[in-house]
Amino acid sequence: MKPDKMYRRMNLTIFTLVMVFLYIPILILIIFSFNDSKIVAGWQGFTLKYYLKLFKDEQIKLAFQHTMLIALTSTLVSTVLGVLAALGLENKRFSGRRVMNALIYIPLIMPDILMGVSLALMFSFLQVGTGMATVFIAHVTFCLSYTVIVISSRLADFDYSLVEAAMDLGAKPWPIFWKIKFPLMIPGIVAAALLAFTLSIDDFIITFFTSGRGFNTLPIYVEGAIRRGSITTINALSTLMVCFTLFLVIATKRVRKFLLG
Amino acid sequence: MNPTRHYNATSSLERKLTGIRNLHSWLLSAPSLIWLVLFFTLPYLIIIIYSLLVPDIYEVKFVFSLNAYKEILSGTYFKPIFLALRLALMTTLLCLLLGYPVAYFIARSQEKIKNILIVLIIIPFWTNFIIRIFSWRIFLSSHGVMNEVLLGLNLISQPLEIIRTDWAVIIVMVYVYLPYMILPLYSVIEKLDFTLLDAANDLGASDRTAFFRITLPLSREGIFAGSLLVFIPALGAYIVPQLMGNQNSLYIGQIITYKIKNIPRNWPIASALSLLILVCIAVILLAGFYIYQKRRIRKVDEAR
Repeated sequence: MKPDKMYRRMNLTIFTLVMVFLYIPILILIIFSFNDSKIVAGWQGFTLKYYLKLFKDEQIKLAFQHTMLIALTSTLVSTVLGVLAALGLENKRFSGRRVMNALIYIPLIMPDILMGVSLALMFSFLQVGTGMATVFIAHVTFCLSYTVIVISSRLADFDYSLVEAAMDLGAKPWPIFWKIKFPLMIPGIVAAALLAFTLSIDDFIITFFTSGRGFNTLPIYVEGAIRRGSITTINALSTLMVCFTLFLVIATKRVRKFLLG
Repeated sequence: MNPTRHYNATSSLERKLTGIRNLHSWLLSAPSLIWLVLFFTLPYLIIIIYSLLVPDIYEVKFVFSLNAYKEILSGTYFKPIFLALRLALMTTLLCLLLGYPVAYFIARSQEKIKNILIVLIIIPFWTNFIIRIFSWRIFLSSHGVMNEVLLGLNLISQPLEIIRTDWAVIIVMVYVYLPYMILPLYSVIEKLDFTLLDAANDLGASDRTAFFRITLPLSREGIFAGSLLVFIPALGAYIVPQLMGNQNSLYIGQIITYKIKNIPRNWPIASALSLLILVCIAVILLAGFYIYQKRRIRKVDEAR
């Protein structure tokens, strides 16, 4: 008998409880988005009216557009910067390695509120009006660490004998990069971009500090609606957002499978 | 492994190549380096400056003053700081107690289902943060799902008033940060050599002894990483206390946010409190690093 068999059942129990703990709120949200009741308690019958209401709401539409615009642009910029930095950090004898690593890893662990406060005060100090541009800058800043780390960690597994073989066969550096190295980097780049994208659409705190009054993203809109107590459409909106993230997770898997063969 | 290997005929050429490659690395890193210096490091310098100014209703007056620090030392903000530290500690401990068995369970599952289980842990973590907190409000509120079910089953006679208490804050914090604990624990436990446990068992050690003397010490690095990933962000918690807690027990993150956003504003105090959190984090990280170094030195000594 394996020594840890005795604990196996206990661990299974805890695992199951944790699963329930993790999924109950999400299930409740989905169920209640179809509930025909103004308050959250009690089941009053099935309805789709909140979904219909959602699609008519101009504010939500605008917040959605803002979220997507910020997510796409900040993903693009942070991924491009991430690719460049990862290629730079690949060189083990790079004299700026320690500085770069510190600058990349420290933002990861800092509480979001500190990044939000410090950026908000800097924008105020520089007299920059808050809005789309400041939110974009903030999002690139917190996504950058993740993209560099994901792309670097994939590059660490890169098989350099391919490059050596190409060089032995007389290939020049640029064709080697574009025809061999870059294609092999694509799965890492896609993973990094998807991570940046989800981080961006999910962020509340940093956006809260760096967006002005007129500029709402979806998380900011949802928080405001919760505070105002107008929560009827939030369940429906949340359900759609949950579905969207699930779609992204599955898409990532598919894309990775497709790219890796 | 690197391309320079082909040129080891002359060392001066090699040195030149190393120099060129170093320059390339600098050029490739430059955009990210500049970005992070401008938008990550520089803002902290601005915080330091703002903490030394005089507050105004809307912004600040550019007059030097140490009042923000004096106010912190006078004890006005001890309670929010204490609450934040307690919250971070409780969250870390509960995440560890729940996360360890889960990580262990996944690590010892069959290869095929391991990845599925990990994805199951990550999916809730990919759904929007605000929305997850909001659904906890639906679940825990006095006429919420949990109370309705418990009342329906006659397990309680009065609705449990969990929402708007510190317990509600802790429950949701554990919920939010659990994956940050499970993932590093899992990656360490998964690499453990479990035949050591069989060996211990053969030599007469009980399962419990084997766990406390082999498994737990060998997964120390995962415990350490997971605890840092939970404790440090939890120190600055704002939105969870804001949506789940009550206004009589304000956490440091809420105070900072109010002082930045609500009129009358007080940016110097917000800056000084942010710096205080930063100092706490620096102390924790340095202590952790020191312990880690010491252990490594001891290991090297033992190896001799």
